[in-house]
Amino acid sequence: MADRVVLHRWMLRLAYVATALLVLFVQLLPLNTTAARWAGPDLVLALTFGFAVRRPEFLPALAVAGVMLLADLLLHRPPGLMALLVLIGTEALKARSRGLRDQNFAVEWMTVGAALLAIVIVQRVVLTVLMVPQTPLGLTLMQAVATLAAYPVVVLTAHLVFGLTKAHPAEIDIEGRRT
Amino acid sequence: MARDRTDREDFAAPLRRLGLGLLAVCLVLVFLVWRIDSPRVEQVRARVVDRVVPSMDWVMTPVSATVDLLRDFQSYQRIVAQNQELRRELQQMKAWKEAALQLEQENARLLDLNQVRLDPKLTHVTGVVLADSGSPFRQSVLLNVGARDGIKDGWAAMDGIGLVGRISGIGQKTARVVLLTDTSSRIPVRIQPSGQAALVTGDNTAAPPIGFLENADRVRPGDRVVSAGDGGVFPAGLLIGQVAEDPNGRLRVRLAADYERLEFLRVLRNPGTETISDPGALIMPTGPGAPIADPAPAPTAVPGAEATPEVSSGADNG
Repeated sequence: MADRVVLHRWMLRLAYVATALLVLFVQLLPLNTTAARWAGPDLVLALTFGFAVRRPEFLPALAVAGVMLLADLLLHRPPGLMALLVLIGTEALKARSRGLRDQNFAVEWMTVGAALLAIVIVQRVVLTVLMVPQTPLGLTLMQAVATLAAYPVVVLTAHLVFGLTKAHPAEIDIEGRRT
Repeated sequence: MARDRTDREDFAAPLRRLGLGLLAVCLVLVFLVWRIDSPRVEQVRARVVDRVVPSMDWVMTPVSATVDLLRDFQSYQRIVAQNQELRRELQQMKAWKEAALQLEQENARLLDLNQVRLDPKLTHVTGVVLADSGSPFRQSVLLNVGARDGIKDGWAAMDGIGLVGRISGIGQKTARVVLLTDTSSRIPVRIQPSGQAALVTGDNTAAPPIGFLENADRVRPGDRVVSAGDGGVFPAGLLIGQVAEDPNGRLRVRLAADYERLEFLRVLRNPGTETISDPGALIMPTGPGAPIADPAPAPTAVPGAEATPEVSSGADNG
């Protein structure tokens, strides 16, 4: 029994990393090399937040930092900044996940939206202060809105594919603790 | 049991927090180091990309090929119309080809008569596009040629027709091409036939605007935009595109390269333009006429000749 729980936990952790890598891989496919007028959602970010809110115990901080740093490097973003902000954001969401468990989806969605907005704002402020060339504001906002809009879809997909559900209040983990 | 649990949590929580703090500090350090010493971290980035992307190549190629195939499949619906159109174009092309051949021969004859030495032909390395930038904010592609193929930063990348971008960031097996549409791209250009110098600045749209134009009145939509050799970065005369006017009256470049399908890019080897550094030496007569030309310095040269051995012997003693 305990073995199965441990296996399940590691499977979900692995599922997070594997899905994030898959999304990055699809993004990198050279299918569209023209300049886009619109920006699609940042699916890796939506997935990370979905895990942080729903199953914080399956989202090790090291995995978040690793995936995000790799994304920073591959997608030509300032390395480390986005990774740091997402790490802080997920930790904040993890801390609130127990309270969010009893709330309905709208509250969860708004909390994620707040975290997303905070990340966008802090990132722009830091880049402005350090005088780093920035991405156009319109595209950035568009991406944030698209990410937020994609969040329910991502969570639903994760729910159907990996069974990423919110923990039931009565659930108990292998060490006999309340989750 | 309950007590045991709290003990464990008390024990684990600070450790967790410490690990988290360390992780955050590491990320801050990475970012700061990047900000302070960008080239070195960009090298690390190139190395990471070099390691990661080619290893995904064996899946990437079939997947992109399949998607391209599906896209092509959609065009089968209007294949008859397309076929006729192509035939018509081919007919026109044949006429043009004939004209081009005649002009080429004439040009060769005239050059021979004038004994003109033109710029040496540029050689190129052709690479396959492995990946794009993966984000809507950056316009770049990754090629499968790199430092081992002798690629250098700043070289120009073209598709068959026009300029596509410049090399920026090289790994051992990969090189990143920053496209002309990227916000960090600035290319000095010349607009033909008026010969106006200008700068093409990428702004994340399909047609980058033309800036710093000397005299906008002499430029018309439809004029050819070619690269200028200014700054010594690019070879001069590479076709970039045509001037077009957007609804706001701003001049933009309609790029000649087909950005929809970037599959193979040729990277032009640019040995760099030679610069003339010295102001030119004094022209002295040589040969038998020389002694007649400087009779005056000759007497003064004799004490100088005597002094030289003394100095050298002094140096030997000392």
